[in-house]
Amino acid sequence: MIIAKNIHKSFGDLEVLKGIDLHVKPQEVVVLVGVSGSGKSTLLRCFNFLEMINHGEIILDGKPVNIKKDNLNKIRAEVGMVFQHFNLFPHKTVLENIIEAPMMVKKKEKGAAIKHAKQLLEKVGLAEKADVYPSKLSGGQKQRVAIARSLAMEPKVMLFDEPTSALDPELVSEVLAVMKQLAQEGMTMVVVTHEMRFAKEVADRIIMLDQGRIIESADPKTFFENPSHDRTRQFIQLVE
Amino acid sequence: MPEIFGTLWEVFARTWSGFLDATVITLQLTGVGVVLGCVLGLFFALLKLSGSKPLQLIANFYITIIRGTPLIVQIVFLYFGITEFITLSNFWAGAIALGVHNGAYIAEIFRGAIQGIDKGQSEASSSLGMTKGQSMRRIIFPQALKRSIPPLGNQFIIALKDSSLVYVIGVAELFSLANREAAQSFQPFETYLVVGLYYLVLVMIFSYLLSLYERKLDVDK
Repeated sequence: MIIAKNIHKSFGDLEVLKGIDLHVKPQEVVVLVGVSGSGKSTLLRCFNFLEMINHGEIILDGKPVNIKKDNLNKIRAEVGMVFQHFNLFPHKTVLENIIEAPMMVKKKEKGAAIKHAKQLLEKVGLAEKADVYPSKLSGGQKQRVAIARSLAMEPKVMLFDEPTSALDPELVSEVLAVMKQLAQEGMTMVVVTHEMRFAKEVADRIIMLDQGRIIESADPKTFFENPSHDRTRQFIQLVE
Repeated sequence: MPEIFGTLWEVFARTWSGFLDATVITLQLTGVGVVLGCVLGLFFALLKLSGSKPLQLIANFYITIIRGTPLIVQIVFLYFGITEFITLSNFWAGAIALGVHNGAYIAEIFRGAIQGIDKGQSEASSSLGMTKGQSMRRIIFPQALKRSIPPLGNQFIIALKDSSLVYVIGVAELFSLANREAAQSFQPFETYLVVGLYYLVLVMIFSYLLSLYERKLDVDK
């Protein structure tokens, strides 16, 4: 689904990604972990071209992406993204947030967009909040709306950038439950998170980044019980 | 002291029908100035935010020239200074000067408001596949406009009062009329007090309408 080959990314003199190779298979759930500054969020943002790679190649759904020539908006429409700070549109109701992109980008007819949006709200357990403005929602509710908004574009893959890091502890589980359900339905997902329990339960593969490189890539059991790298061991001790 | 109120009332009663006509012209000048100012302001704000160096240069040139020279100079320049190329009526010379002048300030208001919108908003719209134009039109600008309303209202009040400067090219607005009345009646004290009162009342009405509108926006969200 996503193939990354030898990705390099620098911000000025600071090289954040130093040659990343990664292959995310269809329906796979990959969790990216690492200390802050390890490059995991940057890598995720490269996958939907919010950051442009300096070097290397990204192949999405079999098609190599040419940053300069391809219509990146069209590509982004197929890659869902959920942000740490939700980034809902505050001047639009929950329903309007969800139907905006399907109508503007996919030119979906309004009735159909609303119908789909309501199904998605049902799915994330917020059917009764359709006409509410985001400011009236809790953090967990906001993030579930943000997930529904991404799903409305019917993406082939969903990226989650620390989706629960801005939430009060008691609201984390409602968001993780929605993500877990998505994973079970076969959505391809790449998740940057510090929620190790989620990683253990849901991930097919956990990838550890350290200083811009992948140092560990293993199934959850191996990752936690028998990691190959010292840094991974330290990291696990740190978070558990 | 009471005789002051007597003469004030006398001046007011004698001049009100003339001042009412002049008020209409003042409002027309302000209206054209403000609408033109908003159009130019948005246009130059977008140039400044375009990311293109030449376009930014054009916008900076406009803003620097207009903010760096007095409005009264701009007014007489448009009316007397360019007659070789184009002849404008004094009303339109004044109204356009007001619009061009306010455009420079409104451009900065819009630019600041647009830049003040959290970067996450444009990232979210991009991530949903929206183009830059769609994102600006549907997501960023509506939020920026709402934040612009207090400083815009301030700018509109300034425009209303600045419209008095077109007296130099003889537009029959409030202040022109006040000058004439003051000279003819030998009552400058009363006349200027009365015309000041007209401006004050206009500004207060506008401020009140603005506060109603702001409250409505707050209720909406």
